Amino acid sequence: MTNTESFEPVLLEVVGIENGGTLEQYRSRGGYAPLEKLLAEKQPADVVEMVKSSGLRGRGGAGFMTGVKWTFLPKDHPGPVYFCVNADESEPGTFNNRILMEDDPHQILEGTIISAFATRASTAYIYLRYEYPQSWNSLQAAIDEAYAAGYLGQNIRGSGFSLDIYLHRGAAAYICGEETGLIESLEGKRAWPRIKPPFPAIEGAFHKPTVVNNIETMACVAQIARRGVEWFRSIGIPADPNNPRDPGSYGPKLYCLSGHVEKPGCYEAPLGITARELIDRFGGGVWKGRRAKAVIPGGISMGVMTEDELDTPLDFAGPGRVGCLGLGTAAVVVVDETVSIVDFLHNSCRFFAHESCGQCTPCREGTSWSLRMLERIRAGKGRLKDLDLLAEIGSTMGMMPGSTICGLADGAAWPIKNCIAKFRDEFEEYIKQTNPTGYMETDPVPALPIVTAH
Amino acid sequence: MIANRKVLTDNMVARIEALAPRYPTKQALTLPALHIVHDELRHVPLDAVVEIAQLLDLAPAQVQDTLTFYQFFYQDKPHGKVRAFVCRSISCALRGGEQVLDHLCEKAGIKPGETTADGSLTVEPAECLGACDFAPCMLAGDDLHKDLTPEKADAFLEAVRGRTS
Amino acid sequence: MPTVIVDGQEIEIGADERLNCIEAARRAGVEIPHYCWHPGLSVVASCRMCLIQAGSRNPETGEVAMIPKLVPGCQTPVKDGTVIVTNSEAVKESRARVEEALLIDHPIDCPICDKAGECLLQDYHFEHGQSERRADIQPFHSRRRDVGPTVTLFVDRCIMCTRCVRFTREVSGTAELMVSARGAKEEIDTFPGFPLDNKLAGNVVDLCPVGALGDKDFLYQQRVWFLKKSENVCGGCSAGCSLVTEHNQDTVYRLNPRENPHVNKWWICDEGRYGWHHLHDESRLVTPGRRAADGFDDVEWADLITRLRDDLKAAGRLAVAVSPQLTVEEAWMLCALARSIDPEAFLALGYVPTTGDDESFPGGFTIRAEKAPNRRGVEAVLGMFGTAETDGKVPGWTDLLAQVQAGKVQAAWITAGHPTPETSWCDEETAAQFDSLDCLVVQDLFDSPLAARATWRLPAAGFAERSGTWVNCGQHAQCFEQAIRPPAGVWPEGRLYWNMLGRQGLYDPHGVRQQIAEGSATLAALAGNLPATGVDLRLQQLAAT
Repeated sequence: MTNTESFEPVLLEVVGIENGGTLEQYRSRGGYAPLEKLLAEKQPADVVEMVKSSGLRGRGGAGFMTGVKWTFLPKDHPGPVYFCVNADESEPGTFNNRILMEDDPHQILEGTIISAFATRASTAYIYLRYEYPQSWNSLQAAIDEAYAAGYLGQNIRGSGFSLDIYLHRGAAAYICGEETGLIESLEGKRAWPRIKPPFPAIEGAFHKPTVVNNIETMACVAQIARRGVEWFRSIGIPADPNNPRDPGSYGPKLYCLSGHVEKPGCYEAPLGITARELIDRFGGGVWKGRRAKAVIPGGISMGVMTEDELDTPLDFAGPGRVGCLGLGTAAVVVVDETVSIVDFLHNSCRFFAHESCGQCTPCREGTSWSLRMLERIRAGKGRLKDLDLLAEIGSTMGMMPGSTICGLADGAAWPIKNCIAKFRDEFEEYIKQTNPTGYMETDPVPALPIVTAH
Repeated sequence: MIANRKVLTDNMVARIEALAPRYPTKQALTLPALHIVHDELRHVPLDAVVEIAQLLDLAPAQVQDTLTFYQFFYQDKPHGKVRAFVCRSISCALRGGEQVLDHLCEKAGIKPGETTADGSLTVEPAECLGACDFAPCMLAGDDLHKDLTPEKADAFLEAVRGRTS
Repeated sequence: MPTVIVDGQEIEIGADERLNCIEAARRAGVEIPHYCWHPGLSVVASCRMCLIQAGSRNPETGEVAMIPKLVPGCQTPVKDGTVIVTNSEAVKESRARVEEALLIDHPIDCPICDKAGECLLQDYHFEHGQSERRADIQPFHSRRRDVGPTVTLFVDRCIMCTRCVRFTREVSGTAELMVSARGAKEEIDTFPGFPLDNKLAGNVVDLCPVGALGDKDFLYQQRVWFLKKSENVCGGCSAGCSLVTEHNQDTVYRLNPRENPHVNKWWICDEGRYGWHHLHDESRLVTPGRRAADGFDDVEWADLITRLRDDLKAAGRLAVAVSPQLTVEEAWMLCALARSIDPEAFLALGYVPTTGDDESFPGGFTIRAEKAPNRRGVEAVLGMFGTAETDGKVPGWTDLLAQVQAGKVQAAWITAGHPTPETSWCDEETAAQFDSLDCLVVQDLFDSPLAARATWRLPAAGFAERSGTWVNCGQHAQCFEQAIRPPAGVWPEGRLYWNMLGRQGLYDPHGVRQQIAEGSATLAALAGNLPATGVDLRLQQLAAT
């Protein structure tokens, strides 16, 4: 495992460089030379192999092996193959894609062009969330530069490979970050995720083979092409030799740190840094001299860790060992001891009720029901029974039990599950204190109108 | 191409059609078309939906289905000349985002989600704007307002009023 | 043959069949509850009611490996060795939770909802739901929204299965219905000014598993548990869609399509669906009449048998128009009857109404321009009677008119029975051509310029008032049983011809059908018992050649 202390930023190598986002500056750092070399000397299959052997796992939240995902594409498909870059970054607490797009757009473009070459895509869409106007400008400027320099368009650098990259603007819906939700949105429809199979690699956008990858994943591809597979594998936490199913957690990761810390920001470290080290060394510690009560390990969907779980390594396997959903987007959010866990969970439930696409019954009704209960609890009309109901919702809705079409429900469920399990005493105390006459009620009570969600 | 166009200008139609070569289907132009109209008119009236549908060989219900899904596009009347999204997701909420939202709305004389009577400003709660490093934050147009405080919110309001008076 | 194991029971499926778990389980007599899946629509697997446990059995070791989580039965295909479990605790709990979820914000206004008695939400709640409510009690809200001229929407009863939206996009191709908003606030709606107004619109009401979509024609007319169901065929056009006539006390309340993979699959057009009102139209002819000095004298049906026969025998040469509304059996008996009165009777196919062109829809459904159900059947019957053909076609209405014009016949028996109370199928000008005849028999549902001139004006039966067989435009023959009795003691054509032929006892359409099958190569497939979905005549014809 790499020493995090001595680790020099790679994905964020541009930070501190003036005009670092220009094509010229990117090239002076060594950019685009790897692309030219690959186009001149390698075949698409070679590039797939390169990414596969690097052990790169998708940075968007699911952590699926990127190179393996590319092998799902049908071998002799006449095409076209579509490549989608998921820049819909909407997971609460997450902002690393934004920084990459604003500050080093060419790193992303080079990674995308290499990936499109590997997957034989002829068109790439960068699906960019509406709320990132600066990223739009930055990416579009870089795309224009790339076309002018012959890195995009027909017959790139005489290689015979052609690629167009288009920006496609979202409209403020979190579910467009789900890969098939993104595809439906791209096609012009409501972003209701699709049932799988068929998987996008077989039938994706416009019924054609499609690959969807995250922005940070693209940056990793560019760096792997430049610095090599060995370099990538020298960083992070290697696969457990006793577990053949463990693909390891290789490479550098951008960790977003926010909430109750002295220095919120995006910090690059080898995969596997612990939450405590991230908070203390990079984040300046919990703010105002307070203690952490709960820490989100990877975007709110992943649930929460308690203070004594902060030595968990933040690699793909770590958070799962303390009951969280996984590493997710590696967006760490710190909640200090003055915050009521009821308020925290209410914020989470409100988010997911607002963002649920509404297609499948358990998520549509489960997110709404859990928000209503949290609203009622906060309004001083909670019951202890509500905690049991919340725990049940938390453990029954989601892709993992098989009850929903996509993982939004799992993301909605995990904070409920973790909060009720890890902070039950606080919930009970709150309910008893605020509803002394009614907390024992087990029969249904009248619903309150939802006040805070629109 | 479209009979008796009432809302879409020639320029809008030209910009929508210019995007056609990017996509293999006309339906894929739906979201870009909605943005083109919405950016200019600050809403997408029902007539515009019919015209977009005609342009894209779709039924109006199909375009409307997409439009209403995002809970983003205004339709009955335009949003304010300035549309401010104040984030209330977890990182911003932890650092006072909800309080700033309430403060700004109160000072502007509206409830969250509403537009001022003079049409100059809309203030809406938003979910994570992806600027948690500067929480609490607000997006107004292309400007990201970082580390928002009630004072900064007041200054913003002044600027909006100054711009429109 | 591939074997599928359903709750421990082994069933075989066809080697080439592509079934999902719901279809496979049905073969084993196990019904997997579901809302959003429909064999005629795309699979969305969004209701999550059909979640079951699935796995596979190793063909060599017999070891069963189950998928660790629940899977939707509608999207999971079966193959040899597939194991389906529907009766485990996990599955039962999942169903109970889905039911509970759907009822959280549902008005549960069954006492005022048309769907009560045929509502899946009710049925599944009873079978699979929890007995007590756990969610907060919502204030009552049940809004009604007009979505089109024939369909109404009770917004809050909707469970978001999206069958209706998918139907308008995939089958009718008209895309009037949409989902609006997102999450728990979603509703079905139309775009203002673009109502649900296509010729297949009524099908969305059939598709709706709950009482959200209502048929304005049927709304609040009758509780469904009072309705008796009869299997019939639509007489509106030559497509011959299978349908179910739902009636009570000889009154029809609605028609629903009946599934027939060979003809209409699951659908029926609105014209056919609502094409029953004429049966109860007050202007129907109900009493046989013999022309008198002014108007008609009523005649008893029993007296009719001999008096009519005598009149026709005395008249001379007879021409008969065999309506494409008649069944094969009725057509055959009419021809036999005509020839028994006049061995040289001119037999022709009656008037065939046609409107516009055939209209096809993206889902494959076609409405036919030919607005009569049995031209093929009548033509095949006419072929059995050695009718002279011109250009390979049997004589038709214009040929019969030519016979009348040329004075070659002195009597005519015109059958029609077209369901058009407002505008008659026969105008004054055409009717006037029959003035020269000594004896004109008109057997029809409604009065017309022709009926006004008749010597004998006989009431006809409607499609739901007769038993028999029709052959559609694709040579597909279907048998159907009488659903209701005609009004006021009207004798359906079958009964009248049977009696006039001197046959004993009650009219036996089955027997007549057997007789026809034995006497015709074209109609040989009508022998024996036919399946409910009918039979393709061409199969037997091919076998015969």
